[in-house]
Amino acid sequence: MNPVFFVKRTFFATLAALIFLSGPGTARGTIDDALSFALEAAQGAVKEGFTVREEYWGGDLPSGQPKPIAHQLFKGNEYWFWMGTDCKGAKISVHIYDSAGKLAEDEVWQKGQKAAAKIKPKRTGTYYLLVEIEKSPDERTVWSLAYGFR
Amino acid sequence: MNERILCALAGVITLSATHVSEAAPAKTIAVNQFPKEAQLVERVLVPVPSEVFAVLDKLGKPNWPDVLRAQKGLATPVGGKEQISLMLGVVIAEGFIAVEAENGEEVKNIGNSVRSLSKAIGVEKAVSRRANSIVEYAEKRRWAEVRKELDLALTDVRQAMMELNSESLAQLVSLGGWLRGTEALATVVNKGFSRDGAELLHQPVLIEHFHVQLQSLPEKARKEALISKILNGLKAIRPFMGAEDGSGISEKDAREIGKICAELVAAVNSKNK
Repeated sequence: MNPVFFVKRTFFATLAALIFLSGPGTARGTIDDALSFALEAAQGAVKEGFTVREEYWGGDLPSGQPKPIAHQLFKGNEYWFWMGTDCKGAKISVHIYDSAGKLAEDEVWQKGQKAAAKIKPKRTGTYYLLVEIEKSPDERTVWSLAYGFR
Repeated sequence: MNERILCALAGVITLSATHVSEAAPAKTIAVNQFPKEAQLVERVLVPVPSEVFAVLDKLGKPNWPDVLRAQKGLATPVGGKEQISLMLGVVIAEGFIAVEAENGEEVKNIGNSVRSLSKAIGVEKAVSRRANSIVEYAEKRRWAEVRKELDLALTDVRQAMMELNSESLAQLVSLGGWLRGTEALATVVNKGFSRDGAELLHQPVLIEHFHVQLQSLPEKARKEALISKILNGLKAIRPFMGAEDGSGISEKDAREIGKICAELVAAVNSKNK
């Protein structure tokens, strides 16, 4: 499965359900399932006024093989990136690097099937989001990455 | 284009030798090596206009009515699907400016134009609800909701196009929006020039993304005068956006970016091929 980005029509319905209901959705090994974990990770930030983009990235990766995503960020905004996987027992991470390849995130957390990184960019321009399956019981693990801004 | 970015966009990135994956993130990553196993995710998510407007809101209160290019009625579809897709993007971007200008009549007009252009490329159903909401919220002057609906209209139309296997057209909607949005941004920046404002124009990854998208259009579409003009325009804009970062973007650079984008927007809206 190649990493691509997606738009989910039911994105906000999913997000709303996740805000008001507790517990993750059924894991079926799809990017949409992985997205539900990412959106669950977003709940706190949404309550703090972050707008979540309806489009998101996703794909599958083997463990220990980080993958970069180039993305445009604007100085003046704050951004959260939320990563999720529905693979039980997997450990994932997301980190943010600037255009020179320097670690640039302001905040980061990692909790099993969810991980997130926050940045208030010091400059406008290209940043790299490095997603990684750190460990997983599966050979390849499906992941999804969503983001929000305010 | 910045060599570092070009390397990365070409495909790959590697972690420096200091990377320890489970302990702490690498302090730096090298973007100039190309092992096959670490291909860069090839898709770029184009920021929604709200992201740029959110920054502009924080920078001050631009004179948006001056930036707004009011339509002379309902937008009429012109040319083939490529041109109409670009037009749709331009119209949606104009909608954001109309919201900033708090011009309810113009927003309503734009909502109806979105419907008309969407119909011409077969995605009316997908955006009809959004178009109605845009008009409804504009009547009530609920600008935050209008802005949200415009973001979602852009997303919905792109999604509908992808479902119709017209991903290239979906990218053209984004490109149209980006051209008009960047033109407006350059205008705002120049009316009260500041380095912080000008830096918003530093968007090399998007220029490269749109360039790649246009190059990957079917040959017939790629050879159309409008597409060739936009390809050349993107190439012309890039040097004015700054090399390493956007700190060196001058008032003249911002003016040039605005001028090129304005010419491309005019070409998109032109009835002459």
